Amino acid sequence: MPEIALAVPNPLTALALFAGAAVVLALLAWPGWGLIARLRRAGDLSERVRLEDGLKHLYTLEAAAMPSSVDSLAGALGASRSRAVSIVRRLEETDLIRLETDNIVLTDEGRAYALRIVRTHRLWERYLADRTGTAPLEWHAQAERLEHGLSEDQVENLAASMGYPLYDPHGDPIPTAAGVLPPARGISLTALEVGQSARVIHVEDEPEELYRTIRRAGIHPGTLLRLEALEPTRVHLTVEGQPHVLEPLAARNLTVERVPASAAEMGVARLDSLHPGEEGVVVRLAGAVQGAQRRRLLDLGVVPGTVIRVELSSASGDPMAYRIRGAVIALRRAQADDILIRRQAHTEAA
Amino acid sequence: MIASPPAANCRGCGSREESLVQLGVAPGNWDILVALAGNPNTGKSTVFNALTGLRQHTGNWPGKTVTRAEGTFKHDGHTVKVVDLPGTYSLQAGSTDEEVARDFLLFGQPDVTVIVVDATRLERNLNLTLQVLEVTDRVVVLLNLMDEARRHGIGVDPKALERELGVPVIPAAARQGTGVPELRKAIVAVATGAIQPRPRRMSEHPPEVEQAIGEVLPAIAAAYPGLPNARWVALRLLNADDRVLQAVRSGELAALVPTGAEAPTAAVWATAGVDSGEGSPVATLLDALVDSRWRLSPDFHDQLTAGAFAEAERITAAVQVTGLRRVRVDLDKQLDRLLTSRWTGFPLMILLLALVFWITIAGANVPSAMLATLLIDNFHPVLQGFGATLGMPQWLNGLLFDGMYLATAWVIAVMLPPMAIFFPLFTLLEDFGYLPRVAFNMDRMFQRVGAHGKQALTMCMGFGCNAAGVVATRVIDSPRERLVAIITNNFSLCNGRWPTQILIASIFLGTLVPAHLAGIVSAAAVVGIALLGVLFMLGVSWVLTRTVLKGEATTFSLELPPYRPPRFWQTMYTSLIDRTLIVLWRAVVFALPAGAVIWLISNIQVGGSSIAAHAVEWLNPLGILIGLNGVILLAYVVAIPANEIVIPTILMLTVLVGGVAGVGPGDGVMFELDSVPAIGTLLREHGWTTLVGVNLMLFSLLHNPCSTTIYTIYKETRSVRWTSVATLMPVALGLVVCFLVAQVWRLLGA
Repeated sequence: MPEIALAVPNPLTALALFAGAAVVLALLAWPGWGLIARLRRAGDLSERVRLEDGLKHLYTLEAAAMPSSVDSLAGALGASRSRAVSIVRRLEETDLIRLETDNIVLTDEGRAYALRIVRTHRLWERYLADRTGTAPLEWHAQAERLEHGLSEDQVENLAASMGYPLYDPHGDPIPTAAGVLPPARGISLTALEVGQSARVIHVEDEPEELYRTIRRAGIHPGTLLRLEALEPTRVHLTVEGQPHVLEPLAARNLTVERVPASAAEMGVARLDSLHPGEEGVVVRLAGAVQGAQRRRLLDLGVVPGTVIRVELSSASGDPMAYRIRGAVIALRRAQADDILIRRQAHTEAA
Repeated sequence: MIASPPAANCRGCGSREESLVQLGVAPGNWDILVALAGNPNTGKSTVFNALTGLRQHTGNWPGKTVTRAEGTFKHDGHTVKVVDLPGTYSLQAGSTDEEVARDFLLFGQPDVTVIVVDATRLERNLNLTLQVLEVTDRVVVLLNLMDEARRHGIGVDPKALERELGVPVIPAAARQGTGVPELRKAIVAVATGAIQPRPRRMSEHPPEVEQAIGEVLPAIAAAYPGLPNARWVALRLLNADDRVLQAVRSGELAALVPTGAEAPTAAVWATAGVDSGEGSPVATLLDALVDSRWRLSPDFHDQLTAGAFAEAERITAAVQVTGLRRVRVDLDKQLDRLLTSRWTGFPLMILLLALVFWITIAGANVPSAMLATLLIDNFHPVLQGFGATLGMPQWLNGLLFDGMYLATAWVIAVMLPPMAIFFPLFTLLEDFGYLPRVAFNMDRMFQRVGAHGKQALTMCMGFGCNAAGVVATRVIDSPRERLVAIITNNFSLCNGRWPTQILIASIFLGTLVPAHLAGIVSAAAVVGIALLGVLFMLGVSWVLTRTVLKGEATTFSLELPPYRPPRFWQTMYTSLIDRTLIVLWRAVVFALPAGAVIWLISNIQVGGSSIAAHAVEWLNPLGILIGLNGVILLAYVVAIPANEIVIPTILMLTVLVGGVAGVGPGDGVMFELDSVPAIGTLLREHGWTTLVGVNLMLFSLLHNPCSTTIYTIYKETRSVRWTSVATLMPVALGLVVCFLVAQVWRLLGA
């Protein structure tokens, strides 16, 4: 019989070869630091990309009223000084910048071009945040790569498909196709009066460590908070009903606008804290929930004033089922955590 | 992952007929167009079936993977076409379903819109109702599930609701058939103008909303004078509704003005298009919009929805009475407690699954044997004789009847009975309301691996048929999580693979226990492998969501409808017909060619032996390495089309290659032996060991999807890349797992 006559390969040899092949495959194809991924990243840095990144940097500095130079450009792009010099020369050749005594100034054309890139970048961030569920820490990095590949028509389509969004997920305004931006508003959190309630309208996403800290405190554009105390090394806040402490550096990265105390009630609990049989009245949805997720919850009836009753817990404890406006809806605990309520004093007999 | 922006397309440009064609409604001999809208779980499909009976057709909305049903009925000399819109909670474009519904109502301009409202959840349902009433006047509200309401002690006064809403309200219990004749009458009456609804519109929104509307209305009036629902359009624009925005820019909004309206400029727009250059009214409108939108408060939408619900609450309080009776409500609650409790929830679920498996296996045995006898034992020789009388050459006879016909007959005999039992059972559970509880219980597991809870449902569907499981993933809104569900659906052990598992388990594991336990061992083996498949599904989902499909979890909101006694006979009937047709289609389209290929490679001789023999020899080294053999590998290659023919092919190839005479009907013809021990002997004689048996069971679980599933995946994802991943990843995994098991087995054994 042919099958039996064949020799069975030595299992140890086979396993060893297999392990070797697996290691080689990992070195090549591992997402992130595999060889293939590295090659792709290197290919991204074409000349056009460098020029556009340069323009963006110059625009950012101009918007912040800070001077720009070849060195600042080199630093921002992570390039050598000589490369930065060649970028500046190219930009000047194409009339996108003007070289003044110790400053690099954008021409009108250059500014319009830069605004288009900024628009694309922020639209991509919005898209990544709303439609693809990319992690927040990745929005900026991925948008950095994606912003260079689109034609004007494609950018217009992208904006249209999302209904011409006004702000990116960090709270930065998205310029219109004509380059129009709204007037700047808001003040830094550190400039707020103690005891004042405010809504966060912008969260600076660099440096990454501070951004992470801010997000961990549950602070996003749209979050309501109240400044409790301002000390030299600590900033005390109540964030959507929970106390938090931030370091001043992080607090400076937050831009807020004042809201009346009545619109920002802080004596709230989370729906997540209720047990089966208990009831709560919705105060509002946390600012962390935005876009389509917020609308879905609103359409299900989670609006201020709705009475929600906890009906069931699932076999694994998560999600829980709630009676909302007559229907029983199951929500994950992470979502229930974003629903701010006032506990009801009495609970109905189960 | 998703890197290219979506393209714009122009819907609603031009006349209503053109709009309808683009929305997928073909012109025909109908004269009244009705849209059926409503929240999910309101019994809308029951109403649809009751209205249209068997004269309906299911398909997809153009360009989208959203199911669409349309049908017709005749009443009073009119032919009425009914289009079933997807169940939605509102008309905001939060999901594809809502987009589809909104587009149809806005640009399809149905003659009548029927809103199916659940009498037991009136308040929530009124949100959508009020939104629809903002778009169109010609509405009929069907107050469905009145019998449910009575059961729960809720009384709703249809006349009072009619007064509040200003449109006809028809009480109904569509499951019992009551209310449907009155609905037909009302539809025709509203369409012909015999009844003129005067909907009470939401005249007052919260003050900030009113202010914003007021800022934009003059510009809308300047750009599109005579627009009938200008306030609604204003709201949609302020809410950044992309379709309405596009419509404003391109001039399609003109399509919303009914023909013959007072506005003299309507005809002008329709023919000459709209001027949206600088300084034109449209451009001014867009500028005004940008301004207003920058100034809107961030919780504008919250306020809007809160206002809608306040109105819904007021109306409900005026028309509804609760607490009339409390019979049987406790049964619902008790059942829920039992099915979702920490201690009984999962055991009951596994028990139910095992029960469904057992009923399917046991129930399919006899019909499968009967079909096999009929199609194969009886009809096959008839066909061969027929061929002989016609004077067909031997090879043609073989190709047609031994290859193509046998493969098809096998698929039908093996597949039809289990599917005809499994899917009706599944639909019964769905009708009953149990399936959402399954997703409810299992969500945490799926959450931990980065997937969506509804994947539990698609996984269960996959136990019947993987292609059906892939289609079922439409319930998952997020594309990323949907892809995860699609790619891993293959690890649900589908009906077609159960015979392989049972047979191999009986031969290699069943012989280890006394005969009377062998049946239970078989069932247990299948359940065990199925659970192993679930583990793999969770594991692969975890890997996918950490590498190529990284992302955040999306909203998981699942409605748990009340338990309802399922409509037993209707479900049986429709499910049976559906499934039978699909199996027959699949058998013909995929199995027939497969049968041809199998016969050809087994009977065409090259250099002294058949192609199949060469292939087996060539594949043998690889096969032995991973603990299988060349016959199995070749069988799986040619049986890509359908899993059911794997065992017959294996037997045929074994006999062919092993050169055993006197077994089976002849060279190159698939067959099955009558007794399990006989098969066992045959295989063991050809070198099959327990390792081969175990690895075959593993490989059967982990190999590539069948061709129907691959085809369905492509249709659902429209992406060659992801279809390839879904096809190749399981087979790669299968090869690796078999390889590792073989080495470890040999290390331990040797």
